[in-house]
Amino acid sequence: MRAWSACALLLAAGVSAGAEWNWNLPPGFPRPLIPAGNPLTQAKVELGRRLFYDKRMSVNGGQSCASCHKQELAFTDGRARSEGTTGQLHPRGSMSLVNAAYAVTLTWAHPGMTLLEKQALAPMLGTAPVELGLAGHEARFLETLRGVPIYRDLFARAFPGQAQAFTLDNVTKALAAFERTIVSLRSPYDRYRWGGEENALSPAAKRGEVIFFSGERGGCFHCHGGWNFSGAVAGEGGAAPGRGGDGFANTGVSRYAAPNRGVFEHTARSEDLGRFRAPTLRNIALTSPYMHDGSMATLEEVVDHYARGGRYSHPNKDSRMQPLPLSPEDKRDLIEFLRSLTDVEMTRDPRWSDPWEARQRPAQ
Amino acid sequence: MLTRHLCFFLLLAAGASAQEPTAAVQVAGDVTRPLTLASGDLARMPRASVKASDHGVETLYEGVWVDELLKRAGVPQGDQLRGKAMASYVLVHAQDGYQAVYSLAELDPAFTGNRVLLADTANGKPLFGERGRFQLVAPGDKAHARSVRMLTKLEVVRLRK
Ligand code: HEC
Ligand code: HEC
Repeated sequence: MRAWSACALLLAAGVSAGAEWNWNLPPGFPRPLIPAGNPLTQAKVELGRRLFYDKRMSVNGGQSCASCHKQELAFTDGRARSEGTTGQLHPRGSMSLVNAAYAVTLTWAHPGMTLLEKQALAPMLGTAPVELGLAGHEARFLETLRGVPIYRDLFARAFPGQAQAFTLDNVTKALAAFERTIVSLRSPYDRYRWGGEENALSPAAKRGEVIFFSGERGGCFHCHGGWNFSGAVAGEGGAAPGRGGDGFANTGVSRYAAPNRGVFEHTARSEDLGRFRAPTLRNIALTSPYMHDGSMATLEEVVDHYARGGRYSHPNKDSRMQPLPLSPEDKRDLIEFLRSLTDVEMTRDPRWSDPWEARQRPAQ
Repeated sequence: MLTRHLCFFLLLAAGASAQEPTAAVQVAGDVTRPLTLASGDLARMPRASVKASDHGVETLYEGVWVDELLKRAGVPQGDQLRGKAMASYVLVHAQDGYQAVYSLAELDPAFTGNRVLLADTANGKPLFGERGRFQLVAPGDKAHARSVRMLTKLEVVRLRK
């Protein structure tokens, strides 16, 4: 209750509450960028959380965002390819939402998809494939939301002063605000690397770290670099410098048939064929199966793929994909390291859990 | 000469397989006074610090400027760095076999404003893990590729003698 009134005060004073959000970041870490058009407020985040977990977000009441982005799986769905609310298969697998606030581009291979607000429309309205299936049902969907008492309250608080707060635009703003708060930097590796806890990692994981960050041995950091173990990130202070290019690479994962030709699907340039985004490796032990098509079931398979320099050859394959001199012990160490990137607290953090279930519990 | 090289190779190989970071860094090659420096030795030299962005994370590195080390090893600098000496470079070696090159001139504050730090601490703590004990920090470089981690040796090479 106190948080609400503090928020109202900030808004009244014309201050962006985003800056006041308690990100709880380790020292030196940048805060996520908040778009000027969608300041982060407690009320908006709470509304976004409700919507994220609400099956009224789908045409037939079958799915919510959370159906394919489950907290216990680092907001993935455990499937090789996601299945929409009407049973259509998505050509690709679900992606983790952890630290998506920092991603320079979103989804597997879409250079133009840079805003969470815009991305949210894809699952809601997309028809190839149908995910939530709301296209053509927008008015009825908004009417349904308006009929829910708690939403009348939450929309009014999240978008104060708007006569017509029940809009698709506001739905995506609230969803994006909630997603931006899913920031996690609390894995054993974080505690080891930045928290001064020398024993937070096993000796095997420590050896694996050296392999991951050695260009002569693993070379993983070339594409999964920096503190987010991903392609380029941006935060306050701008995008992190680096030469990772735009963060997309052809790694010889598949034969790249349509509609999974990577960046090519959007640019139609032959050099973009097979280029996909290097996703974050945080919580990777929770997000099997792996790759855009879910074609690798285990981290062992993934490491074997890299040790071979990519399982398929391709004229566009990135020159950094070379056979690696890894012994069986090196591979085990590397996997131990990858497992140390899991933040177990994130999987049960009450700020990101299903609020419709939490209603039964005493107020927090 | 050959045996010395061989010895060095064996040492390196042994170090790499045990994955223990080397506890000392060498300044070697075409120098008048080869140096082998442990953290304690660096601690007694003039210290310098550099604030650098580590993929967006602000990090304060401390150590000794590379030009200070080269001076102590008797490498020509300032007015001495001219003529044939201009065709000299520093080959930087990492424990895993990675190498990178700086020309002698670009490491010399009399030539450029891009000093390079040989760091042994980050945010007040000794470097560890994938960093090794020593790392170069090149604040003038836009990319990280010459901020060599797991540093073992700065080898001075004079192409013209
Ligand atoms: C049917 C399963 C499904 C549903 C429902 C779904 N998603 Fe996704 N989500 C996916 C898949 C599959 C991808 C990868 C899309 C691609 O590459 O084209 C994805 C990707 C994303 C990404 C990109 C993450 C990143 O790091 O780039 C975000 C953000 C996201 N979804 C948010 C949402 C939101 C918000 C909702 C609800 C409005 C939602 N999703 C509903 C399956 C789903
Ligand atoms: C040349 C850039 C590059 C290098 C080097 C690289 N990766 Fe990747 N990685 C990618 C790309 C791109 C993808 C997505 C590929 C796809 O889905 O087609 C990926 C995907 C992955 C995935 C699956 C992620 C998920 O969410 O499904 C894992 C795990 C992974 N990489 C681990 C590693 C490891 C370990 C190394 C070092 C041995 C490594 N990568 C080296 C670019 C790279």
